[in-house]
Formats: sequence, structure tokens, C-alpha cells
Amino acid sequence: MTTHRGASRWDALASLLRPDAARWVVLGLLVAAGAALTITGPLVVRRLVDRAADGADTSEIVRLASVFLVIAVTTQMLAVVVTWFATVAAWRTTNGLRMQMARHVLGLDHEFHRTHTPGELIQRVDGDVTSVSEFLGKVVTKAAGAAMVVAGMIVVLTVIDWRLGLGMAVYVAAALAVVVRGRHRAVSESSDEMGALGRLYGGIEERLTAAEDLRASGAADHVAWRFVEDSEEALTSAVRRERAFLVMWWFVQAAVAAGWVVALVLGAWLVDAGTISLGTAFLLFQYVLLVSRPLEEVVHELETVQKANGAMVRVLDLMATEATVVDEGRTSPPAGPLSVTASALCFDYGDDQPVLSDVDLAIGSGRSVGIVGRTGSGKTTFSRLVLRLVEPTDGTLALGGVPIADIPLAELRSRVALVPQEVELFAGTVRDNVTLFDDGPTDVAVGDALRRVGLDVLVDAGLDRQLGAAGSGLSAGQAQLLALARVWLRDPDLVVLDEATARVDPETEARLEAAVADLMRGRTSLVIAHRLSTLRSVDDIVVFEGGRIVEQGSRSQLVGDDDSRFARLLAMALEPARTPTETTP
Amino acid sequence: MSSIVVEPPQHDDDSVSPLPPGSFDGNVWSLAWRVSQHRARETWLGWSLFIVFFSMPAATGYLLGRGYDALADGDTTATMWWAGGVAASETVRMVAVHHGALIWTKAWIHMQSLLRANMLAAQMASGGPEAGQPVGSAGAAITHFRDDAEDVANFVDGVVDVSGGLVFTVIAGFVLGSADPSAAAILVVPLLGVAVGTRVLDTRIKEYRAADRAATAHVTGLLGDVMAAATTVKVNDATEPVLRRLQTLVDRRRRTAVRDRVLEEGVQAFSQGAADVGLGLVLLVSAGAIASGSFALGELALFTAYLGWLSFLPRMVGRLLARRKQAGVAFDRMRRLVADESADNTVRRRVLPIDPADHRSRPPVVRPARVPLERFDVSGLTVTYGDRVAVDDVGFTVGRGEFVVITGPVGAGKSTLLRSLLGLERNASVSGSIRWNGVEIDDRAAFMIPPNAAFLSQVPQLISDTVADNVGLGPVTVDELAAALRIAAITDDIVAMPAGVDTMIGPRGLRLSGGQRQRLATARALVHVPELVVLDDLSSALDVETELHLWENLATTGMTVIAVSHRAVAFERADQVLRLEAGRLTCR
Repeated sequence: MTTHRGASRWDALASLLRPDAARWVVLGLLVAAGAALTITGPLVVRRLVDRAADGADTSEIVRLASVFLVIAVTTQMLAVVVTWFATVAAWRTTNGLRMQMARHVLGLDHEFHRTHTPGELIQRVDGDVTSVSEFLGKVVTKAAGAAMVVAGMIVVLTVIDWRLGLGMAVYVAAALAVVVRGRHRAVSESSDEMGALGRLYGGIEERLTAAEDLRASGAADHVAWRFVEDSEEALTSAVRRERAFLVMWWFVQAAVAAGWVVALVLGAWLVDAGTISLGTAFLLFQYVLLVSRPLEEVVHELETVQKANGAMVRVLDLMATEATVVDEGRTSPPAGPLSVTASALCFDYGDDQPVLSDVDLAIGSGRSVGIVGRTGSGKTTFSRLVLRLVEPTDGTLALGGVPIADIPLAELRSRVALVPQEVELFAGTVRDNVTLFDDGPTDVAVGDALRRVGLDVLVDAGLDRQLGAAGSGLSAGQAQLLALARVWLRDPDLVVLDEATARVDPETEARLEAAVADLMRGRTSLVIAHRLSTLRSVDDIVVFEGGRIVEQGSRSQLVGDDDSRFARLLAMALEPARTPTETTP
Repeated sequence: MSSIVVEPPQHDDDSVSPLPPGSFDGNVWSLAWRVSQHRARETWLGWSLFIVFFSMPAATGYLLGRGYDALADGDTTATMWWAGGVAASETVRMVAVHHGALIWTKAWIHMQSLLRANMLAAQMASGGPEAGQPVGSAGAAITHFRDDAEDVANFVDGVVDVSGGLVFTVIAGFVLGSADPSAAAILVVPLLGVAVGTRVLDTRIKEYRAADRAATAHVTGLLGDVMAAATTVKVNDATEPVLRRLQTLVDRRRRTAVRDRVLEEGVQAFSQGAADVGLGLVLLVSAGAIASGSFALGELALFTAYLGWLSFLPRMVGRLLARRKQAGVAFDRMRRLVADESADNTVRRRVLPIDPADHRSRPPVVRPARVPLERFDVSGLTVTYGDRVAVDDVGFTVGRGEFVVITGPVGAGKSTLLRSLLGLERNASVSGSIRWNGVEIDDRAAFMIPPNAAFLSQVPQLISDTVADNVGLGPVTVDELAAALRIAAITDDIVAMPAGVDTMIGPRGLRLSGGQRQRLATARALVHVPELVVLDDLSSALDVETELHLWENLATTGMTVIAVSHRAVAFERADQVLRLEAGRLTCR
């Protein structure tokens, strides 16, 4: 933990609090009022003890006792108000952070999401941020209150006798120094523990997601064993963390006990010397007790502090992770269907196995292109480059003549759409799943999009029907159609269909193909499939193999040439019955 | 929820249980007891040390009282001795808590692990008595494993605190009572007030906690879905709408969290105030004695010291009551994941060697006995969801070594049919008979797993593990593994990987292409050489050549296969082709 890191963490926290500054200031004032009351109570008792020693009568004692009682009651009521105020402020503030993080994470690369499970990300965006909010709501308030109480006590004691004030100041400083020293080790152990827990929960989330497959495979025992291994890690790191905390606990308890002992002995000595009164000696005792409560709580809450510290570290790390895809574009390609031009395009994952090498391709505006090749030939990666989910390692890619990096991301996203291989659905309404939670499109528009792809049954059952949670789900075929509906709604200038029609039966496939052909009109389309029958309606064909383009040309030309790779692939396909509209494959 | 949601309605975590919400008030104690006895040694040892830790302050306070008496009398030497006694008493206390805390940390994790292991086992069980209702959203379900388990551990923790506080309070009661009976008596007022007040707020605490949990589950549920579908969100530029929805959920959760936390903190602050209020009352009641000098400084010190610690008990009792309610809510939520939705199944005894000091050996993987398949008969199979009939009176027979293809339009019920054969349709009502060699299969989910039956789903899920473990899901021999990879036509791909079969696959197997995942999952289905292989649309992510290889390879193994397919290559090789339309068989 370098100081630079520490400084930036405080900066981050400060910038988090700034928008709600007024709230925090009011909170500060309330806490100060509470601190003032807390210090006054023992002063009343001091006066009571001295007056009793001087031989005051019962009624005076009663009066002083009543004052003390009133102060005690008021302090507690104020404490509840402070708690409410602090919790509201903390949650408002950290919800802002939560949203910021969610936004940031969603903007991160495909690479990032590949290597981080959703369970882990939930722990970061929700779990870690909750730790920070508990820190702000509970700990900061208590710490601020304690600090004010201690400062006030030192002032009061100094007024009585400067040596007492000095003594108290030295005592508090020593106690704090000792606690702070133990902190650093506790921080790293706490962060490790959170990491182990993240892996444990991430693993569980994964198994739950894959639950049906695991059940069907009789994998319960295997999962149970992995769980034991992950839990052992969690236990070991928890014990390490506790050990680090206990070191601090020893110091704090020693400090508190030392405080009592010194207050007693010092008090006896000073009273004997006639320097202070009995009441003042008792005040010393009461003030040491007052200090010990926050000191003990510091260690108690230190766990919250360390959790929050570890959480802040991870939050900052996550926020510092940058998407490699940077939105610096300012040039818009011409309106209308986009052309796609690649020259010497290369891509690899940083290892020595290039996924794409030297790809040269020119797709005219409005043309539909079928991209074929074995699995792993690079065609999926090519589509990711066109969608700008990843950046090429070499070469250039241009849409509508504009290099893809120069196009503003928002514009790119609205003009380029994807019908993916695996349709991702959400727990939400049918409407939510088509519009992706966007309230903009009208119900009529959503209904039209669904009807266009043949999902009339969904429209008739009601767009507000819940999917996934309470309502029934969709079959794989229906999900594919829904993905098409999503694209219809967006009306893009370039469509990438990634093995979209692979999972449906021939009749529905025919329906789908008609809808897809409909969709391809007036746009540039890239259809990536290994089902050759889906390529019936495209203009051009591109064949990928081993990360390179080994053949490209118009479909009719390639089909006619028996020596072409494409024709040979077709022949091997042994495809089912042709449609009535076409007699040759 | 990353996989495509196939037909059945998923179980809703927040659905109202048929049991009344208060039904756990009695049981929580016994359930928590059983959880604590999972690792009894750690629990009892930790508890004992904490009792010492909580009761030592009685000695410290008494010694302080004597010290201040000596101070008031001007006897400095005696004061020093009493001060020394304080130091000694505190040292004993600190040693006790050092060891106690370390042991309790372990106990804490042990208790949560028991609950987690039981829930996980119930969700992973292939049929049988242990199987629980499948959970809806994995993201939302994490709150059970994270927060609900912690709530139960917190409750046991609270019991330890309260028992310690009780011991201290009893001792303190004696000491204070013998010092000044009337002052001691008046203390009952504030302490009782705290206890009553927190009891009154009990039901509120439980309501607020349940509401907060539900709101949190909504937030984590959406986050999980969205993180899993990050590509879709990004490509569709849906970040803003998604974030707007998230904001709504997050705001709602803020409100529930504030209510929950404030009440909890309020209760605590309230009981802390009891100490000062108590002191005020003592001063008031003893005013006369103070004025006359019979209530000495030492007694005042004694009361002041004890009061600081005395308020611990009402605070802990209040907190315990709140925690009991929270534990009740937690058990109520956790039981939904286990068999019969019975909370008893969350605390079943289990061996969990998670302490490094434990002797650990991996238990053998238990699979059902292999029953070689001669005939597989399905008759009158009907699958209904509520009033919707998904599969209607389907019947067919498969002989040993046959290759049966099932086809039909989208939504015809093919997946439902296959999954109900294997007992995976827990949310539907399934009727009809399925016979293996003429014998009715009682618990399909338990029987129809490798080595008897294996399943490849439409969207196969892999896990973060090595290739070998993803295929074997338990120890397998090198030969078995190699054979499975070969049949699934993925051997070349694995050889090309950096560590071969020991290569780790990334989160949910995303490091592989769609086709590789499909083939790896196929290898997983085949590795135990199942009698019956059930494949739901295997050809979807594969190109024609690869699929051809697969059918050819499968044919050489002689396994009995039931597969969904729409391709000529499949129809041509099939012994039977069954066509399903709107749940009914229209044979071809």
C-alpha cells in the first residue's frame, strides 16, 4: 500500500461525498452537538462529588443528579437522529458509486467479461460498495463523534490543569498510534479474505447457472468437493485476517487497561499532593472510560473499516481498468447501408496463435455476404471486430469508408446490429427483453417487430408477461426469433448474423429465412453460418480457413464453379430437401 | 440467468411460501443449535473462552471500586496494589479473548459452510431425497449463500454474547446488591426498559430485514443478468436503459436498507444510553447517602464501571432478538432451496473437512448402478404446466443400439419431452410411464444419469475448471477421457491447447468457441459410456462436416441414442424418426 494509493483512495472518497456535501455538513453539526453533551455529563458528576465532599445538602445533590439525567436522555435521542441521518447520506452516496461502477463495467471489453464471472462482478459492484456504505454510515460518523469527544475532553482538562490536558493528549495519541501500526497488516489480510470469498461465491454462482447440466450429469459429488476446497481457502484467509486483528486488539485493550491504572494511580498521587480535588480525580476516571468506548469500538468497527478499505482498493482497481476500445471518434460514415473494408487485418490474444492474419476484404454497401468456414477459422472474431467489441492488433477496418476507430461509438452501436449465436435473455417482461429495458419504443412498434419475425403468439399473450421469473420461458427457437425482433426495432445499416438460424426446424427456418431476407434488404449484411442452407439468399460468399480468407466472390459464380471450395463444402453437406423456389443448391 | 430460458416456469425466489411467515419462531433455536453442533468442539471451546472474557470485568470493576475507596481514604500504597490487581485481571481477559476469537472465527465459517453445503447439494442433486426445487436466478440466489448463512451464524454469535452477558450480570447483581441494595434495585428500571423496548420493535425488525433482503436480491439479480449478457447490452447500446432500471431497483433498496439499519442501530444506541441513565438514577436515589457520606467514592466508581458493562446485556439481548428474527427470515429463505422446502434439510449433518488440520481425502463419486438397456418404453407421457399442455400423450419404444431422431417446429415441445424423460422437469406435472427394460423408473432424476443415461442440453453450460474436470465431473481414467474426446471430435482442439486436458476453461467456458463448447459438452455426456444418450439439438453449433463425424463416431460405439435434429444427415441414419407438433406425435 503506497501512499500514492492511499491518497487516491481518500481523493476518491472525497469526490464521492462532494455532491451530497450539505447533507454531510448537517450530519457533522449533529455529531458535534452530541459530542458536546457527552463531555458535559462527567463535568456535572465532578461537581456533584466535590460538593458532596464539601458538605452540600441533599437537595443540591438531587438537582445536580437531575441535570445529569436530562443530559443523558437528550444524548441518546440525538444519537438515534444521527444514525438515521448518517445512514440515509451513506446510502445515497454509495448508490451513486454503485451506478458509476455498473456503467463502467458494462463499458469494459469482451475480454474482461470473458475472464470475470458474473458472481464475482456482483460481489464487486454490490458487495464491495455495500461495505463502503457501511463504512460511511456507521464508522465515519462514530469516528467523527469520537474525535470530537476526545478533542473536547482534552480542552476541558487543559482548562482545569494544563498537565492533565497534556497527559490525556499523550495517552490518546499513544493509543491511536499503536492501533494504526497494526492496521496495515490487517488491510492486506482483509483484502485477501474478500478475494477468497469472491472466488467461493463466484464458483457457487457458476454451478447454479450450470445446475441443470450438472444435475443431469450426476455431478453433485464433484461440485461438493470443489466447494470444500474453496471453503478451506476462505477459512484459512479468515483465520489469517483474525490474527492480524487480534494484534491490534491486544494493543487497544492494553491501552484501555493502562488508562484505568494510570488514572487511578495518578489521581491518588495528585489528590494526596493536594493538586486536584476528589471530583477531578473521578473526572479523570470517567474520561478514561469515555475514551475506552470509542477505542474498543474502533477495533470492533475496524473490521468494517478494513472491509471498506479492501473494497475501495478493488473498486478503484476496477474503475481504473480501461476498455481498450476507446471512444474518440468524431467522423460519421455516410447515411444508408454501410460498406465494410478490411485491409491486412490481424488479431491475436497476445499469445503466438494468431486468430486472424492478413485479412483483405471489400463488401459493398447494401450487399449481403455469407461468411463460411470451420469452427475456429476466425469468422466469429471477424464479426467481433466489425462490431468493435475488440480492437485489431494490426491492419485496418473501415465502415462506409471511415476507419472504425473514428466512428463515435454511440453511432456505431445504433447503426450496426448483431443477431448473436446465443441469445441472452433477462428476467423481465417480453417488452423488456425486446427493447432491453428501453421505454422509448412504443408498444405498437415492439408488437410490429415481433409480428414481423413470426412471434405473434408472444404479442397476443401480452407484452407485459414476465419471462424467466414468474412466467414461462421461451424455447430456443423463439429466443432466436426474439433476437431478430430486437434488430428490427433498431433498424440498423449493417447487420451481423452469427449462426443465427442454426437451432430451428426446417419450417420455422423457412419462416425465419424470409424474415431475414426481408431484414437484409436495404442494409449491408454479414451472415456467419456453417449451415450452408442459410446462405441461399446472399449475394457474396467469403470462405475463412485458419484465420485467412481462402476464397471470396459472388455466390452464383462460386456455386457454378465445381472446383471452388464453397461448391465442395456444399457437396459435403448432404443438405435436406431444397425449397420449392430453388432446384440447385 | 445466462442460459436461454427453456419452456418451464422457473422457481421464483420471492414467491410467497404457503407457510405463514411466523412459522419459524419456535424452530429457529433448535435449527441454530444443530448448526452450532456441526463442529461441536470449536463451538464449545470458543464459547467457554468468551464466557471468561465477558465475566472478567466483574473482577476489574470490583478492584477499581476498592482502589477509589483507598484513594478517598488517602491510602496511596493500597491504591497501587489495587491498581496492580486491575492490570492482572485485564491480562487474563485478553489472553482468553485471543484464543477464543481465533477458535470462534473457525466455528463461524464452519456453521456457514454447513448451510451452504446443504443448499448446494440440494441444488446439484440428481433426483433422490436430497433434491431441492431448482432456483430461479443464480445471481439472486447468491444472497442465500452469502447473507442468509451469515445471519444464522450471527444469531449463534449473539447467543454466545448474551450468555456471557448473563454470567456477568448475575455476578454484578450480587456485588452491587451487597454494596448498596436500593441503588442496585433502581438499575432494574433502565435495563428492563431497554429489554421491553427492543422486544416491542421485534416484528418491525423482521419485516424490514425481509424487505431489504428481497430488494437486494432484485438488485443482484439484475446485475447478474446484465453482467452475463454484457455483450448484448453493449451491442444494442442498451447501457442507459439498463442503468435506468438498475437505478430504480437501487433506490428502492436504499429505502429498505435505511429502515433496516436505522432500526438496528437505534436499538443499539437506545441500550447504550441505559448506562448513563442508570448512573443518573443511582445518583438521584442515593442523593441522601451521598450527602451524608455513606455512599463513598469507591461505590460510585464501582457502579460507574459496572454500568458501562451492564448495558452490554440488554444491548445484546435486544440484538439477539433482532438476530433471531433475521435468522428466522434466513431459514425461511434458505429452505426454498432444499428438499421438501423443509428448514431441517438446511442443517443436515455433513462431513466438511475445510480446516487445514482436517484429514482430507476425496470421497469416491457415487453413481447409480449400471443397468444395461434392452428396451426403453415411453407411453402416455404428458407434461403440463398449470393449464398448458406441453407434451400430450407421447409414446414410443427404443431398442438397444437404436438411433431415434425427434424433430418438429419451434415450441413443439421437443426439449420438454427429452427433459421429462430424464426427470429434469421439476416444475411441471408429468404423467405417463417410462420403463427401462420393462420396469417402471421411480425416480427418473436419480436413475437417468451416467452411466445409465446422459444428456446434452440445447445450450450446454461448462464451469471454471480444467477440461478434464469439465468432461469427467469427477475422476476419470486417461483412456476414458481420450475415448470421449475422440468420439466428440474435439481431440485436435484439446491437443492444441496450452495444457491439453489440464487447461483451465474461463468463466462458464467462454474461452472456447460455440462449437468447441458443444463438442466438449458432448464428450462430457459420453465419458461414462452411458447406456442411453439423449441429445437436444447437438447440430446447432457445429458445421456439417463436424456433425457428420459425430454421428459416425456415435454409430461405432453402439450406444442407444435419442436426439433432436433437423438435418438430413440425422434422418438418413435414424432407425426411427418421431415428429412432434404442439406436443403431440405425428409419426413420420
